[in-house]
Amino acid sequence: MTATKDRYHRSLELFERASQVIPCGIYGHTAPAAALPGAFPYYAQRAAGSRYWDVDGNEYIDYMCGYGPVVLGHQHPEIEEAAVRAQRDTLCVNHPTPIMVELAESLVSLVDFSAWAVLGKNGSDMTSWAIQVAREHTKRRKILKVSGAYHGMDPWCTPGHAGLIEEDRVHIHDFNWNDLDSFDRLLKRYRDDIAGVIMTPFHHPVFNASQMPSDGFWPHIEAACRRDGIVLILDDIRAGFRLDLRGSHKLFGFEPDLICFCKAIANGHPLAATLGRKEMRVAASKVFLTGSYWNSAPAMAAAMKCLAILRAQDVPSQLHRTGESLMQGLVERGRRHGYTVQPSGPAAVPFITFDSDPSMRRRQRFCAEVTRRGAFFHPHHNWFICAAHSSEDIKTTLAMADEAFAVLRAENL
Amino acid sequence: MNRVPPNPAVLCQLYLDAVLPCLSELVAEDAFARDLTAGLNASIVFRVAGGPARSVHLRDGAVSSQPGSCSHPSIVLLFLSRAHLNAFFSGRKWALPLLAWGGWRIRVLKGFSTLAERLEAVLEGHEAVISTAAGRRLHARLSLMAAGLGLPSLAAGDVVSREAFRSLPYGMASFTISSEQGATVWFDRQLDTSRAGWSAPPRQAEVCIAFGDAETAFAAMRDQIDTMAATASGQIVVDGLIPLADGLNFIMQRLRVYLQPSKS
Repeated sequence: MTATKDRYHRSLELFERASQVIPCGIYGHTAPAAALPGAFPYYAQRAAGSRYWDVDGNEYIDYMCGYGPVVLGHQHPEIEEAAVRAQRDTLCVNHPTPIMVELAESLVSLVDFSAWAVLGKNGSDMTSWAIQVAREHTKRRKILKVSGAYHGMDPWCTPGHAGLIEEDRVHIHDFNWNDLDSFDRLLKRYRDDIAGVIMTPFHHPVFNASQMPSDGFWPHIEAACRRDGIVLILDDIRAGFRLDLRGSHKLFGFEPDLICFCKAIANGHPLAATLGRKEMRVAASKVFLTGSYWNSAPAMAAAMKCLAILRAQDVPSQLHRTGESLMQGLVERGRRHGYTVQPSGPAAVPFITFDSDPSMRRRQRFCAEVTRRGAFFHPHHNWFICAAHSSEDIKTTLAMADEAFAVLRAENL
Repeated sequence: MNRVPPNPAVLCQLYLDAVLPCLSELVAEDAFARDLTAGLNASIVFRVAGGPARSVHLRDGAVSSQPGSCSHPSIVLLFLSRAHLNAFFSGRKWALPLLAWGGWRIRVLKGFSTLAERLEAVLEGHEAVISTAAGRRLHARLSLMAAGLGLPSLAAGDVVSREAFRSLPYGMASFTISSEQGATVWFDRQLDTSRAGWSAPPRQAEVCIAFGDAETAFAAMRDQIDTMAATASGQIVVDGLIPLADGLNFIMQRLRVYLQPSKS
């Protein structure tokens, strides 16, 4: 902590004030305690393109992208212009604006199985609503999900421990990723009472390596849901629009009944969406859904522009290429220093772990060293590639990584 | 906020394996307790009929303990059941144990009884104890010790803890008060077993949780501090396998349901 006090002087000063008036100082996924306290900045000042600057003036190539939403780069001029233009007309009024209709039409045309769309603000808005729709549609109670998967902050799924009662999860049951036996056991036990299965397209548990679906995993889940009348909900909040514009299920060859988007949908503007099959439409119309700011037009205008650019520039392919070069570079540089780096997850939403690192200290130290040199690597959460990451950014990052590996080696870590 | 009731067998094990061992630390750190034991040389066995036991040795002003019944005890306190032992340790006057052996050692029994009352006052944080910095320090040390030593019992038999353990990585965790000498408890969880100790960990732990000072530890043990903010500002340092630390913190809170049911 002392060694980094000068570098993060203003961050720590602000945090001291924050901790007097804000529980945790900074709460949720950006809480310093969730990363490596003292080794990362706590507060940001500004951002542009692939970069951001913390309140102490330190510059970073941003591999978290606001934990996902920034897919085209910070402060993308066309998107900001669209949002500002919409805001000049309305910000918060008594009705939706025409852009809501246009956006719903655009989303429905993008995702081929869908017949309708609703809009919210955050991922949790959508996942919690989606399981209600599944229950309404099937008139059943149980929801199956993958152990360790993140679906939001509501009681049925929060990774936190506090403020919960047993009843919150009486009808929520976990199975293990890529473990069809554990899935089938739940199917057998609760067969006539399972309303929905909610899953992310690939498994991205915090602190751990991401896991891709094994062969046959998704087809088995999909077939079981079809056979038993269970609503298959794809939580595409983290990966959506980064892997495939039509929904990440396209990449993995299956089709859900409901799909939840957020993050990359509006390049950082607050917006979330759920799209569904025609058959779910009546149930969707019955489950109450609203929020104080959910009709606000600027984020929807930003989404319209964002989706147009994503489509026009085939951004998912670009993200894949960029992510691949970053991962390959890290693996190669790690090898040069005698470390086995394990890349995981899709290249556009990558993560790394180290072999022989059960305490995670090697990974933590590595990420802290790279961050100190100017590329923000989170040690515990998957990273995000954006379209603003240039080949020069990757080159610069890999040079920083080279130095960080050398530090690890010098410390025999 | 889990209302699953305590398992009596776990509570019994906690009294034997987490609370009684704290006597050694109490006597080492507390002048009042030390005075009480001065001149007492005895071995006392706490035994549940057909069940677990623990032996407490008082020798030359120091206390040690070990699981099981020692040979040639001075006193044997026999409990008819785990529930009987639990009632006794939770202060029920009617739940006196059967004096199976050594009932004539009145001085030892009286001295030990007062020592046990002192332990209760410190562990429960009676006002007279925690109104001073020295008392808070003692409470913090002993609470940390009991919490760490209690983890294997919770892992073995408490339904809520077992469920929480399912999602935790294996490995060793150490909890320490940085400003204090010898204030470290460790817990090692492997596939089939778990164990704990009040000493320097036998190897480098996968995660080390260090409270900056006794006051921070005191506040943390009593749930009176924003631990997230304290961690971010360096008052509490978590080094290594964070998910293990986070999970154990949650499970340690379950200890309150057992040992301080009125406060849970």
